[in-house]
Amino acid sequence: MDASVTRASAESRPAAWERPARIVTVDDSSSRVFTYVLLRVTGLMLSVLVLGHFAVTHFVTDVAHDDSAFVARRLSSILWIGWDATMLAAALAHATAGVRLALADYSADAGRRRLLERCVVSFTVVLFVLGVVAIARAVHA
Amino acid sequence: MNPIQIAFSAGLVLVLAAVSVFSAVVLRNAARGGRAAGFGLLSGRSDFGELGRVAFIAHRLTGFAIFAFLSLHILDVGLYSVSHSLYDDVQHLYGTAPLRVFECGLLFAILFHTGNGLRLLAVDLFTTSAVRARQLLWAVIGIAATAGALGSALILAPIF
Repeated sequence: MDASVTRASAESRPAAWERPARIVTVDDSSSRVFTYVLLRVTGLMLSVLVLGHFAVTHFVTDVAHDDSAFVARRLSSILWIGWDATMLAAALAHATAGVRLALADYSADAGRRRLLERCVVSFTVVLFVLGVVAIARAVHA
Repeated sequence: MNPIQIAFSAGLVLVLAAVSVFSAVVLRNAARGGRAAGFGLLSGRSDFGELGRVAFIAHRLTGFAIFAFLSLHILDVGLYSVSHSLYDDVQHLYGTAPLRVFECGLLFAILFHTGNGLRLLAVDLFTTSAVRARQLLWAVIGIAATAGALGSALILAPIF
Protein backbone atom coordinates (compact mmCIF):
# COMPACT_ATOMS: atom_id res chain seq x y z
CA MET A 1 0.00 0.00 0.00
CA ASP A 2 2.69 2.46 1.05
CA ALA A 3 4.93 1.41 -1.84
CA SER A 4 2.24 2.03 -4.47
CA VAL A 5 1.43 5.47 -3.06
CA THR A 6 5.12 6.43 -3.16
CA ARG A 7 5.50 5.19 -6.74
CA ALA A 8 2.38 7.03 -7.91
CA SER A 9 3.63 10.31 -6.44
CA ALA A 10 7.09 9.72 -7.89
CA GLU A 11 5.54 9.51 -11.37
CA SER A 12 3.50 12.62 -10.48
CA ARG A 13 0.32 11.06 -11.80
CA PRO A 14 -3.02 12.43 -10.58
CA ALA A 15 -4.62 10.59 -7.70
CA ALA A 16 -6.94 7.71 -8.56
CA TRP A 17 -10.14 9.74 -8.02
CA GLU A 18 -8.92 12.45 -10.40
CA ARG A 19 -8.30 10.04 -13.28
CA PRO A 20 -10.95 8.67 -15.65
CA ALA A 21 -12.08 5.14 -14.83
CA ARG A 22 -10.22 3.49 -17.70
CA ILE A 23 -7.03 4.87 -19.18
CA VAL A 24 -5.95 3.73 -22.62
CA THR A 25 -2.35 4.87 -22.96
CA VAL A 26 -1.36 6.47 -26.26
CA ASP A 27 1.49 3.99 -26.68
CA ASP A 28 -0.79 0.97 -26.42
CA SER A 29 -3.44 2.21 -28.85
CA SER A 30 -0.91 3.39 -31.46
CA SER A 31 0.87 0.03 -31.38
CA ARG A 32 -2.53 -1.63 -31.87
CA VAL A 33 -3.25 0.57 -34.87
CA PHE A 34 0.23 -0.20 -36.24
CA THR A 35 -0.37 -3.95 -35.82
CA TYR A 36 -3.77 -3.59 -37.47
CA VAL A 37 -2.46 -1.67 -40.51
CA LEU A 38 0.58 -3.96 -40.83
CA LEU A 39 -1.63 -7.06 -40.82
CA ARG A 40 -4.05 -5.68 -43.42
CA VAL A 41 -1.43 -4.26 -45.79
CA THR A 42 0.82 -7.35 -45.74
CA GLY A 43 -2.29 -9.54 -45.93
CA LEU A 44 -3.43 -7.79 -49.09
CA MET A 45 0.05 -8.21 -50.62
CA LEU A 46 0.16 -11.89 -49.64
CA SER A 47 -3.23 -12.60 -51.21
CA VAL A 48 -1.52 -12.05 -54.57
CA LEU A 49 2.03 -13.22 -53.74
CA VAL A 50 1.15 -16.52 -51.98
CA LEU A 51 -1.68 -17.57 -54.30
CA GLY A 52 0.55 -16.75 -57.28
CA HIS A 53 3.41 -18.74 -55.74
CA PHE A 54 1.16 -21.73 -55.04
CA ALA A 55 -0.34 -21.60 -58.55
CA VAL A 56 3.09 -21.50 -60.23
CA THR A 57 4.55 -24.33 -58.12
CA HIS A 58 1.47 -26.62 -58.27
CA PHE A 59 -0.72 -25.79 -61.25
CA VAL A 60 1.49 -24.16 -63.91
CA THR A 61 4.26 -26.65 -63.07
CA ASP A 62 3.44 -29.89 -61.26
CA VAL A 63 5.09 -30.13 -57.84
CA ALA A 64 7.13 -33.13 -59.04
CA HIS A 65 8.95 -30.83 -61.49
CA ASP A 66 9.79 -28.02 -59.02
CA ASP A 67 13.39 -29.28 -58.92
CA SER A 68 16.63 -27.30 -58.74
CA ALA A 69 16.52 -26.68 -62.51
CA PHE A 70 13.08 -25.07 -62.02
CA VAL A 71 14.47 -22.87 -59.20
CA ALA A 72 17.47 -21.91 -61.36
CA ARG A 73 15.14 -20.88 -64.19
CA ARG A 74 12.96 -18.86 -61.83
CA LEU A 75 15.87 -17.11 -60.14
CA SER A 76 17.24 -16.01 -63.51
CA SER A 77 14.39 -13.49 -63.59
CA ILE A 78 14.61 -10.33 -61.49
CA LEU A 79 10.80 -10.40 -61.25
CA TRP A 80 10.80 -13.71 -59.36
CA ILE A 81 13.71 -12.70 -57.11
CA GLY A 82 11.75 -9.58 -56.16
CA TRP A 83 8.57 -11.66 -55.79
CA ASP A 84 10.24 -14.16 -53.43
CA ALA A 85 12.01 -11.51 -51.34
CA THR A 86 8.83 -9.43 -50.96
CA MET A 87 6.81 -12.54 -50.12
CA LEU A 88 9.37 -13.59 -47.50
CA ALA A 89 9.30 -10.18 -45.77
CA ALA A 90 5.51 -9.76 -46.00
CA ALA A 91 4.75 -13.30 -44.80
CA LEU A 92 7.06 -13.09 -41.77
CA ALA A 93 5.82 -9.60 -40.81
CA HIS A 94 2.21 -10.83 -41.16
CA ALA A 95 2.93 -13.98 -39.13
CA THR A 96 4.72 -12.08 -36.36
CA ALA A 97 1.93 -9.54 -36.02
CA GLY A 98 -0.74 -12.26 -36.13
CA VAL A 99 0.90 -14.50 -33.54
CA ARG A 100 1.55 -11.49 -31.30
CA LEU A 101 -2.13 -10.67 -31.44
CA ALA A 102 -3.06 -14.26 -30.58
CA LEU A 103 -0.63 -14.30 -27.65
CA ALA A 104 -2.40 -11.27 -26.18
CA ASP A 105 -5.58 -13.36 -26.04
CA TYR A 106 -4.12 -16.44 -24.35
CA SER A 107 -1.47 -15.29 -21.89
CA ALA A 108 -2.98 -13.34 -19.04
CA ASP A 109 0.41 -12.81 -17.40
CA ALA A 110 2.06 -9.75 -19.00
CA GLY A 111 5.62 -10.85 -18.20
CA ARG A 112 5.14 -14.27 -19.72
CA ARG A 113 3.47 -12.76 -22.76
CA ARG A 114 6.40 -10.41 -23.32
CA LEU A 115 8.80 -13.34 -23.10
CA LEU A 116 6.75 -15.34 -25.63
CA GLU A 117 6.55 -12.29 -27.92
CA ARG A 118 10.33 -11.97 -27.83
CA CYS A 119 10.68 -15.66 -28.67
CA VAL A 120 8.36 -15.28 -31.67
CA VAL A 121 10.10 -12.13 -32.93
CA SER A 122 13.56 -13.73 -32.54
CA PHE A 123 12.31 -16.84 -34.36
CA THR A 124 10.96 -14.86 -37.33
CA VAL A 125 14.06 -12.63 -37.48
CA VAL A 126 16.24 -15.77 -37.72
CA LEU A 127 13.96 -17.15 -40.46
CA PHE A 128 14.10 -13.83 -42.32
CA VAL A 129 17.90 -13.70 -42.20
CA LEU A 130 18.13 -17.34 -43.34
CA GLY A 131 15.69 -16.62 -46.17
CA VAL A 132 17.53 -13.50 -47.34
CA VAL A 133 20.89 -15.30 -47.19
CA ALA A 134 19.41 -18.22 -49.14
CA ILE A 135 18.02 -15.94 -51.89
CA ALA A 136 21.25 -13.89 -52.06
CA ARG A 137 23.46 -16.99 -52.25
CA ALA A 138 21.21 -18.65 -54.82
CA VAL A 139 21.19 -15.55 -57.01
CA HIS A 140 24.96 -15.10 -56.63
CA ALA A 141 25.81 -18.69 -57.55
CA MET B 1 15.13 -42.20 -47.20
CA ASN B 2 18.45 -40.43 -46.84
CA PRO B 3 19.35 -38.25 -43.78
CA ILE B 4 18.10 -34.96 -45.23
CA GLN B 5 14.76 -36.54 -46.16
CA ILE B 6 14.45 -37.96 -42.64
CA ALA B 7 15.24 -34.49 -41.23
CA PHE B 8 12.54 -32.91 -43.43
CA SER B 9 10.00 -35.56 -42.41
CA ALA B 10 10.83 -34.96 -38.74
CA GLY B 11 10.35 -31.24 -39.37
CA LEU B 12 6.95 -31.90 -40.90
CA VAL B 13 5.93 -34.01 -37.88
CA LEU B 14 7.06 -31.13 -35.66
CA VAL B 15 4.93 -28.69 -37.71
CA LEU B 16 1.85 -30.91 -37.35
CA ALA B 17 2.51 -31.30 -33.61
CA ALA B 18 2.82 -27.52 -33.15
CA VAL B 19 -0.45 -27.01 -35.04
CA SER B 20 -2.18 -29.61 -32.83
CA VAL B 21 -0.98 -27.96 -29.61
CA PHE B 22 -1.93 -24.47 -30.82
CA SER B 23 -5.37 -25.72 -31.93
CA ALA B 24 -5.95 -27.32 -28.52
CA VAL B 25 -5.14 -24.03 -26.76
CA VAL B 26 -7.37 -21.97 -29.08
CA LEU B 27 -10.31 -24.37 -28.97
CA ARG B 28 -10.15 -24.84 -25.19
CA ASN B 29 -10.09 -21.07 -24.73
CA ALA B 30 -13.03 -20.64 -27.11
CA ALA B 31 -15.04 -23.37 -25.37
CA ARG B 32 -14.54 -21.58 -22.06
CA GLY B 33 -15.77 -18.33 -23.62
CA GLY B 34 -12.38 -16.69 -23.10
CA ARG B 35 -11.10 -13.43 -24.51
CA ALA B 36 -10.65 -14.83 -27.99
CA ALA B 37 -14.32 -15.67 -28.28
CA GLY B 38 -14.83 -12.43 -30.20
CA PHE B 39 -12.64 -10.38 -32.51
CA GLY B 40 -9.62 -9.37 -30.49
CA LEU B 41 -8.50 -6.52 -32.71
CA LEU B 42 -10.29 -3.16 -32.60
CA SER B 43 -13.21 -5.07 -31.14
CA GLY B 44 -16.84 -4.30 -31.74
CA ARG B 45 -17.51 -6.35 -34.83
CA SER B 46 -18.13 -9.64 -33.07
CA ASP B 47 -21.90 -9.35 -32.93
CA PHE B 48 -22.96 -11.30 -35.95
CA GLY B 49 -23.26 -14.54 -34.17
CA GLU B 50 -21.85 -17.98 -34.03
CA LEU B 51 -20.69 -18.17 -37.67
CA GLY B 52 -18.51 -15.10 -37.17
CA ARG B 53 -16.92 -16.73 -34.13
CA VAL B 54 -16.24 -19.92 -36.05
CA ALA B 55 -14.66 -17.84 -38.85
CA PHE B 56 -12.49 -16.02 -36.30
CA ILE B 57 -11.22 -19.29 -34.83
CA ALA B 58 -10.73 -20.88 -38.27
CA HIS B 59 -8.79 -17.78 -39.38
CA ARG B 60 -6.49 -18.06 -36.37
CA LEU B 61 -5.93 -21.82 -36.77
CA THR B 62 -5.27 -21.67 -40.53
CA GLY B 63 -2.98 -18.68 -40.02
CA PHE B 64 -0.89 -20.54 -37.46
CA ALA B 65 -0.81 -23.70 -39.59
CA ILE B 66 0.41 -21.77 -42.65
CA PHE B 67 3.06 -20.03 -40.54
CA ALA B 68 4.22 -23.36 -39.07
CA PHE B 69 4.63 -24.84 -42.53
CA LEU B 70 6.29 -21.65 -43.82
CA SER B 71 8.95 -22.00 -41.12
CA LEU B 72 9.88 -25.44 -42.46
CA HIS B 73 9.48 -24.35 -46.08
CA ILE B 74 12.01 -21.49 -45.75
CA LEU B 75 14.53 -24.03 -44.45
CA ASP B 76 13.90 -26.67 -47.13
CA VAL B 77 13.95 -24.18 -50.02
CA GLY B 78 17.04 -22.60 -48.43
CA LEU B 79 18.82 -25.92 -49.05
CA TYR B 80 19.04 -24.85 -52.70
CA SER B 81 21.69 -22.30 -51.72
CA VAL B 82 23.64 -25.00 -49.85
CA SER B 83 23.53 -27.79 -52.40
CA HIS B 84 21.29 -28.44 -55.40
CA SER B 85 21.26 -32.18 -54.75
CA LEU B 86 20.17 -31.71 -51.12
CA TYR B 87 17.36 -29.46 -52.36
CA ASP B 88 16.33 -32.06 -54.95
CA ASP B 89 16.32 -34.86 -52.35
CA VAL B 90 13.81 -32.98 -50.19
CA GLN B 91 11.88 -31.61 -53.16
CA HIS B 92 11.36 -35.21 -54.33
CA LEU B 93 9.23 -35.80 -51.20
CA TYR B 94 6.80 -33.03 -52.22
CA GLY B 95 5.74 -35.17 -55.18
CA THR B 96 4.88 -38.22 -53.04
CA ALA B 97 1.28 -39.12 -52.24
CA PRO B 98 1.26 -38.18 -48.51
CA LEU B 99 2.81 -34.78 -49.21
CA ARG B 100 0.36 -34.14 -52.05
CA VAL B 101 -2.50 -34.77 -49.61
CA PHE B 102 -0.80 -32.36 -47.18
CA GLU B 103 -0.54 -29.76 -49.97
CA CYS B 104 -4.30 -30.05 -50.58
CA GLY B 105 -4.90 -29.26 -46.91
CA LEU B 106 -2.49 -26.36 -47.20
CA LEU B 107 -4.36 -25.08 -50.25
CA PHE B 108 -7.71 -25.14 -48.42
CA ALA B 109 -6.12 -23.34 -45.45
CA ILE B 110 -4.54 -20.66 -47.67
CA LEU B 111 -7.77 -20.13 -49.63
CA PHE B 112 -9.92 -19.75 -46.54
CA HIS B 113 -7.40 -17.54 -44.74
CA THR B 114 -6.98 -15.31 -47.81
CA GLY B 115 -10.70 -15.07 -48.53
CA ASN B 116 -11.65 -14.38 -44.94
CA GLY B 117 -8.83 -11.84 -44.57
CA LEU B 118 -10.01 -9.97 -47.66
CA ARG B 119 -13.55 -10.11 -46.27
CA LEU B 120 -12.42 -8.51 -42.99
CA LEU B 121 -10.62 -5.83 -44.99
CA ALA B 122 -13.76 -5.16 -47.05
CA VAL B 123 -15.97 -5.08 -43.95
CA ASP B 124 -13.61 -2.56 -42.34
CA LEU B 125 -13.10 -0.33 -45.39
CA PHE B 126 -16.72 -0.18 -46.52
CA THR B 127 -18.80 -0.08 -43.37
CA THR B 128 -21.07 -2.95 -44.24
CA SER B 129 -23.97 -4.38 -42.29
CA ALA B 130 -23.72 -7.55 -40.22
CA VAL B 131 -26.00 -9.24 -42.75
CA ARG B 132 -23.67 -8.35 -45.62
CA ALA B 133 -20.62 -9.49 -43.60
CA ARG B 134 -22.36 -12.84 -43.08
CA GLN B 135 -23.20 -13.16 -46.79
CA LEU B 136 -19.60 -12.39 -47.65
CA LEU B 137 -18.47 -15.12 -45.24
CA TRP B 138 -20.67 -17.69 -46.99
CA ALA B 139 -19.26 -16.52 -50.33
CA VAL B 140 -15.70 -16.98 -48.95
CA ILE B 141 -16.54 -20.48 -47.70
CA GLY B 142 -18.11 -21.38 -51.06
CA ILE B 143 -15.21 -20.03 -53.14
CA ALA B 144 -12.55 -21.61 -50.87
CA ALA B 145 -14.32 -25.00 -50.99
CA THR B 146 -14.79 -24.93 -54.78
CA ALA B 147 -11.33 -23.62 -55.67
CA GLY B 148 -9.79 -25.94 -53.07
CA ALA B 149 -11.56 -28.98 -54.54
CA LEU B 150 -10.52 -28.07 -58.11
CA GLY B 151 -6.93 -27.39 -57.04
CA SER B 152 -6.82 -30.63 -55.05
CA ALA B 153 -7.97 -32.57 -58.12
CA LEU B 154 -5.00 -31.10 -60.06
CA ILE B 155 -2.54 -31.79 -57.23
CA LEU B 156 -3.74 -35.37 -56.69
CA ALA B 157 -4.19 -36.29 -60.38
CA PRO B 158 -0.58 -37.58 -60.88
CA ILE B 159 -0.95 -40.24 -58.15
CA PHE B 160 -3.97 -41.86 -59.80
